[in-house]
Amino acid sequence: MSTRRLSLVSVSIARVPGVAIVLVALCAVFGLTSPGFATPANIANILTQSTILLLLALPMTVIIMTEGLDLSIGALLTFASIVLAVTVVTTGSPALAFLAALAVGFCFGLGNGVLIAVFDIPPFITTLGTLGIAQGLSLVVTDGQSVVGIPRSIENIYSGTAAGIPLPIIIAALAYAVTHMLLYHTRFGTYVFALGGNREALKVAGISVRGMLIRVYVFGGLMAGFAALLMTARLNSAHPTAGIGMEFDAIAAVAVGGTSFERGNGWLLGTLLGVIAVGVLRNGLNLLAVPSSAQVACIGALVIIALFIDGLRAER
Amino acid sequence: MKYLVISVTAVLTALFSNAAFADGETIAVFTKNLTNPYFQAVRVGTETAAKTLGVKVIQYVPTKPDSIPEQLSQVEDVIVKKPDAIVFIPVDYKALVPAVEKINAAGIPVTNITDRSAGGNFVAFVGADDYSIGLAIARRLLTAIGGKGNVIILEGVKGSLTSTNRVRGFNDALKENPDVKLLASQPANFQRLNALQVMENLMQSFPSIEGVLAANDPMAVGALEALEGANRKALVVGINGSKEAVELIKSSKLLASGDFNGFIQGCIGTQIAVRNLRKQPTPKEVMLKPIVIDKTNFTPYEMPVEQRACPTLEQIISN
Amino acid sequence: MNTATDKAVRPRLALSREVMQTFYRLLAVALLGVMLATLSDVFLTTNNILNVLRQTALLFLMASGLTLVILTAGLDLSVGANVGLSACLAASVIKLTGSPSLGMATGIGCGAMIGLANGVLVTALRIPSFIATYGMMWMLTGVTYYYMGGETIHGFPPGFRQLGSGYLLGVPVPVYVMVLFLLIGALFAQRTIWGQQIYAIGANPVAARLSGVPIERRLVLVYAVSGAMAGLASLIILARINSAQGDIGEELTLPAIAAILVGGTSLFGGFGTVAGTLIGALLLTLVLNGMNLLQINSSWQPLVTGLIILLAVWIDTRTRRIGE
Repeated sequence: MSTRRLSLVSVSIARVPGVAIVLVALCAVFGLTSPGFATPANIANILTQSTILLLLALPMTVIIMTEGLDLSIGALLTFASIVLAVTVVTTGSPALAFLAALAVGFCFGLGNGVLIAVFDIPPFITTLGTLGIAQGLSLVVTDGQSVVGIPRSIENIYSGTAAGIPLPIIIAALAYAVTHMLLYHTRFGTYVFALGGNREALKVAGISVRGMLIRVYVFGGLMAGFAALLMTARLNSAHPTAGIGMEFDAIAAVAVGGTSFERGNGWLLGTLLGVIAVGVLRNGLNLLAVPSSAQVACIGALVIIALFIDGLRAER
Repeated sequence: MKYLVISVTAVLTALFSNAAFADGETIAVFTKNLTNPYFQAVRVGTETAAKTLGVKVIQYVPTKPDSIPEQLSQVEDVIVKKPDAIVFIPVDYKALVPAVEKINAAGIPVTNITDRSAGGNFVAFVGADDYSIGLAIARRLLTAIGGKGNVIILEGVKGSLTSTNRVRGFNDALKENPDVKLLASQPANFQRLNALQVMENLMQSFPSIEGVLAANDPMAVGALEALEGANRKALVVGINGSKEAVELIKSSKLLASGDFNGFIQGCIGTQIAVRNLRKQPTPKEVMLKPIVIDKTNFTPYEMPVEQRACPTLEQIISN
Repeated sequence: MNTATDKAVRPRLALSREVMQTFYRLLAVALLGVMLATLSDVFLTTNNILNVLRQTALLFLMASGLTLVILTAGLDLSVGANVGLSACLAASVIKLTGSPSLGMATGIGCGAMIGLANGVLVTALRIPSFIATYGMMWMLTGVTYYYMGGETIHGFPPGFRQLGSGYLLGVPVPVYVMVLFLLIGALFAQRTIWGQQIYAIGANPVAARLSGVPIERRLVLVYAVSGAMAGLASLIILARINSAQGDIGEELTLPAIAAILVGGTSLFGGFGTVAGTLIGALLLTLVLNGMNLLQINSSWQPLVTGLIILLAVWIDTRTRRIGE
C-alpha cells in the first residue's frame, strides 16, 4: 500500500499537469483584466457554481479509471431532481425526498452496473441507453413543465452558509474527501486502480470483477442522486432539461484533469482542478462580457490546450 | 519618463478596465439563446435603443441554448459587476425565479420582457399577449378557409408558456367555428425540421388538410415545405413576423403571421429600464397589441431589424 | 481477443460473423415493419415508406464516415457541429454566388477540413479522440454562432433543393445518395487495402504498426472522411429545410452514434460494417416513424430509443458469445 502511494506521489510531481498550468494562467489573466474577479464574493461564486459539476465529476473519475464511462449521469441528475421535487411537493418531507433521489440514483447505477458487468454491454452504449431512459422518464413525468413549490428548507441548502462559507462548497468538499478516502485509503480504491490497469490481478486475488464494476456505477448513481439535492435547491424547482449535457462536461473535466481513458491512472485532484478551471473560464469570460459565441469557442480551446500540454509533457 | 509611465499606465488601465464608460449607464440584457432569430431581434432592439439614449448594453446568452443553470450562473456573475439595470428574458419562467430574487436582493432594477416570470419584483413587464396573438391569427386563418374544413395545430416546446398561451388562443378561435375540425395538435419544438417531419407524418394520416396553425414562423415554414414537397396545398399561418415569413407572405405562400415583435420589446424594455434609472415615470406593464401581418400590411416589416428605428414608449402606449 | 488478431491477418474469415449480425438485424427490421404495418394502416403507404427512407438517408450519411472512425476505436463527437458550420457556410456561398455547385463544394470542403483538423489533433497532438472532437465541437459551435449572428439564411434555388426534397423516378433523391455511399463505403471498407488497414488499426494497433500500416495517415484519412460526409449530410439538410440556422445538426451527433452502435459496430474498433450502420439508421428511423404515426407522446421517444439501443447491443453480445 505505501509503495503504491509513494509512486503515485512521485508520478504526480514529475509531470506538471496541463490543467494546473491552464488554471494558473486563466486566474492570472482574469485577475489582471477584470476588477471584480479576485474578490471573495466572486471566488465564492465560482466555487459554488462548480459544486454540482464536481459532484458528477468525482464518480466519473472513478468510472473512467475502470476504463468505463457514464453518459447517463446528467440525465440521471435531472430525473433524480424531478423525483426529489415531486416527492417534497406531495409529501412535504425533504428527508423523504432526498431518500427518494438517492434511491433513484441507486437503481439507475445498479442498472448500469449490471448491464455492463453481467450482460457485458460496453459502458458507452449502456449509459447511452440509460441516458435515453432517464431523459424520457423526466419528460414523461413532467410533461415539459417545471416542478415548483419547493420548500425553503431545501432552497437554503444551496443559498445557506456555515461560518461564512456557502453550504454547497462545504458539501462538495465533503464529497471530495469521501471520494479521496475511498480511492486512496481503502481496499475498494486499490481494486478500482486494479480494475483499470490490471484486471487479471483482481481475478487472481479472487475479487469479483463484476461486483466491483457494479459498485463503481452504483457510486456514480448515488452521487447523482446526491447532486440532485443541490440542483433542486439551486433552481428552487426541477426541470426536465436541467442537467442536459453535464455528463460531457464532467467527462471533459476529468480528462482535462489528467485522468487517462486508457490506462486507469486517475488523479482526483486533477479532476477538482479541471472543474474549477472550467468554472473560472466561464466566470471570467462573463465578467469580461466576452460575446457568448466567443465563450463557446473558448471552452473548446481550453479542453484541447490542456490536453495538448499534457501530451507534450507526459511520456508515452 | 514620468509622463511615459503615466501615459502607459493610463493606456493599460483604459485597455483593461471595463468600467471605463465615458458617460451613460450600463444595462445587462439576458436572452435565451444565440440561434433563434427572435432573440437576435430583441438584442438588436436593445442596442438600437441604447444608442439613442446614450447607454451601453452588454448581452448575456447561455453557451448551451436555453440552459437554466447557465443563465443562473450568468446572473450571479453579472451581479458581481453591478450593472445599473437589467433587462431580463428568463430561459424558463418558473425556474429562474431564484435568479430574479438574487437580482432584487442586490438592489439592481430589473425589467422583464417576453416571458412573464413567475416571481420576483420587476420595474415593468413588456410583452405581447401570446393568447391574443394566437386568437387573432387563428381567426384570420379560419375566416380565410371559410369557416369549415380540417385544421392542424403545430405546438411549440412542451411546457413553454409561449406555446401554451398561443395554442390556447388557437383553440378558442376554433371553438368559435364549429364547422372546422381539429385533426391533430402536435408539438414540433418551435423548430423547422421538426415541423417538417411532423407535418409529413400527419399528411400520411390525413389526406385532406385545409389549414395549419403554427405557433411560430419556423414551424409554419417547415409545414409549408412539407406541403410543397407533397404537392399539396393548405393555408398556413405562423407567429413572429420574421423576415422569411414576410417574404413568403409577399409571395402569397404564407397566409399571415402574427407580429410578435422582439425588436420592439427590446427597444421598449431598454427605454423603460433607462427611464427608471433616470427617475422618469414608467408604466408597470406594456402589452403590445396583436397585429396580424398579411398581404395588406406587410411592407413596413420588410425592413431588416438592424435598420429600423425604435418606436418611443409614448407611441406604443398611445396605440 | 483472438478473432480480432486473426482478422488483422486474414480479414475475410471473420466476415461470416458480420454477415450473421446483418442477418439478425434485417430480421429485426422486417419484424418491426410487420408490427408497424399491423398497428397503423398508413405505415405501408408509398409516401410513408419513402419518407422513412429519406429520413434514414440523412442519418446514414452522417453516420457513414463516422463508422470508419469508430472502426479505428476512435470517436468523433464533432459531426453535429460540423454539419452546422458546413451548412451555414455553404448556404452563404449559394446566396452570394447563386451557384449551388459552388455551395456544395464549400460544404463538403469545409466538412473535410474540419475532419482533417480532428485527425491532426488526434495523431500529431496525440489528444484522445473523445476530448479532441469534444473540444472541436465547442469551437465549431462558437464559430457558427458568431458567423450566423442569430440570423437565418433562407431561400435556395429550386435546383439545389432537389437534392434534399426532390424525387427521381418516384424515389427521394437522398435515397440515391444513400445507396451510392453505401456501395462506396462497403467497397472501400471490405475490398481495398486501405479499408483492411483501418480494420487492422482498430483490432490491434500494435500488430498493424508492426505489419507496416501507416497508422497516422490512415487515422487522418478516416477523420477527414467523417468530416466530409458530415459536410455532405449538411447539404442535404440544407436542401431539405431550405434554410440555415446556427443550431442545425446539434442534436444529430448522438443519434448518428446510436445508429452505428445499433448497427453492430464495436466501439473497441475492428468490427462492424457500413451496411450495419445503414440498418441501424433504418431501425431507429422506423421506431421514430412508428411513434409519430401512432401519435405516441413525443416525450417517450428518448426512452424508446434508449431501450432499442440496449436491446440491439445485448442481442449482439449474446450472439457473439455463441459464436466464440
